[in-house]
Amino acid sequence: MRKSIFNRGGFLAIGLLLLALLAGSCLPKLPAESGGANITLYGFSIMKESLEKSIYPGFSAKWKTEHGVDVRFTSSFAGSETVTNQILQGVNAEIAILSIERDAERLRQGGFVTSDWHAFPNKGIINKTPFVILVRQGNPKGIHDFPDLAKPGVRLIHPDPVSSGGAQWSVLAIYGSELVKSEKQTGEPDQSHALQTLRAIWHNVISTPGSAREARTQFETGFGDALVTYELEGLLMKQSGTPVEIIVPQATIFSEHPAVVIDRNVSAAKRPIVDAFMQYLWSEESQRGFVKYHFYSITNNALSEENKEFGHIDLPFTIDYFGGWGKAYPQVIERIFRDQVQRRK
Amino acid sequence: MSTNISPMRHVRGFDVARPFSIGMLVIIMMPLVFLPLASIFIFGTSKGLTSFWAALTASEAIFALKLSMATSFWATMFNVIFGLFAAYVLSRYNFWGRNALIVTISLPTAIPTAVAGFALLLLWGPYGTLGRFLAPQGVQIMFTAGAIILANIFVTFPLAFGVIKPVFDTMSRSLEEASATIGATRWQTFWHVTLPSLRGAIVSGALLTFARAVGEFGSTILVSGNLAGRTQTAPLYIFAKFNEGQIEAANAIAIVLALFSFLIFSVLFFARDWLDVE
Repeated sequence: MRKSIFNRGGFLAIGLLLLALLAGSCLPKLPAESGGANITLYGFSIMKESLEKSIYPGFSAKWKTEHGVDVRFTSSFAGSETVTNQILQGVNAEIAILSIERDAERLRQGGFVTSDWHAFPNKGIINKTPFVILVRQGNPKGIHDFPDLAKPGVRLIHPDPVSSGGAQWSVLAIYGSELVKSEKQTGEPDQSHALQTLRAIWHNVISTPGSAREARTQFETGFGDALVTYELEGLLMKQSGTPVEIIVPQATIFSEHPAVVIDRNVSAAKRPIVDAFMQYLWSEESQRGFVKYHFYSITNNALSEENKEFGHIDLPFTIDYFGGWGKAYPQVIERIFRDQVQRRK
Repeated sequence: MSTNISPMRHVRGFDVARPFSIGMLVIIMMPLVFLPLASIFIFGTSKGLTSFWAALTASEAIFALKLSMATSFWATMFNVIFGLFAAYVLSRYNFWGRNALIVTISLPTAIPTAVAGFALLLLWGPYGTLGRFLAPQGVQIMFTAGAIILANIFVTFPLAFGVIKPVFDTMSRSLEEASATIGATRWQTFWHVTLPSLRGAIVSGALLTFARAVGEFGSTILVSGNLAGRTQTAPLYIFAKFNEGQIEAANAIAIVLALFSFLIFSVLFFARDWLDVE
């Protein structure tokens, strides 16, 4: 005989399940937006701490005293290229802080950024940090400079240059460091030696995660022997007690990070607060906040000296050594790295 | 005493194949399934229960769990109702293109979820094929909870359908025909005769769809914008926490999701007696 659909026990069970699901079916409330302003900021992966712990609270307090209005921040962090792609696909970002100026350029070409960020102080760069090598405590593989990464048996974690701005800086750091050192010695940068070094190092790469932050997490969970990354990542790791050592190469690049306003997404009403936030990024308070979280200040070298943990770099250089991103990207990242190193692995 | 091994040995007396095969089953499942699951539980509680609870009750974590539940619920409702409807139509009626339609319904499972998400963006995004006409009207589907529901509907599309249709196919039509001969309308026949036979398939289809939707990642990360506390589902939250290096927080939510899936499939399993129709 067919069971009735109203069989007691089963009905009760399914009924309860349905009730529970119905209760869960209401979409959770978004944070109350009444009476306050909200800024949506998409940043590249390592910006999270300094923004959330220092810059946001600093600006909110300042805006509140000046205008009596609460400011909330909505953020999303990922590899710089990923952030740029998200914005190009239409996420509602109002401000973007990127790792490489090339990504800002891409946003400009996509029509999302119409104002010129170079008009801001320091040409739109808000902070910088040098690229270093992180190794396990005790430096068991004996790494003292970039070429040592090519030693047999060294397992290197290096983020993917396709999605991570930090990865591109790292490639430029390695390649450029050899050029700078050879130039100092002989007066001429030795390109073939630099290429060979880059190739040999790339041979030891065991993992290419999507962002600098992801690479750091992999390294922290015990994977790999070495990691080339922003100095601040190493300092943050040491701060949280991870047993790592920071090896400062003789010559290395300072990565410089631009902040841009996504003009297309900023309404006229929001313009004043967005502009105010942008200006705030170069204020002494904000720069101090960056230094506290291990970025170098871009406005004032004296502020950077307040952070005693920074390593000393003999031969620092910047993207200008390559003639800017306009030259560095096609010449080094594409022609040298992508075509001659990555493809020939 | 005979030195032959009796041919009946494998059904009488001590059968070595029994403990051996059971043992093999468990051993094979160990590194593939048991140990990974166990490591989530072990690692998630390794820093003590207070830190586990703190990770669990973080406001962004709770939001992520609620968002996952709600979006999966609505996607399931839609896919079960549509699956019922599609199974009815495709089982009862024969028409040109019927088989192609059945195959198309099953396609979403073959497509990588990231591709699915990307396809939705290309269609509905503010610069997408259809989205560009909606954007000036202020209608923006992508980067909202609605987009997550859409993505979930897409990737779980064939699940409920795949469970319900075989029941339709093997169902005896005679009861429905009898019901029609005594004057029941199409709807009355459906509600009182057809549906009860389907309740098992409907419930298991719904639970399958729901469980799959809760765990969906590849498409959600693309269409949601991944904003913590706004459009971040539980799997996205786990991924974000992992990327930030907050492994314990990631593990806490992973444990919740694992337990939840365990619960769903237990219900499916233990309620099967009730669900089965004689």
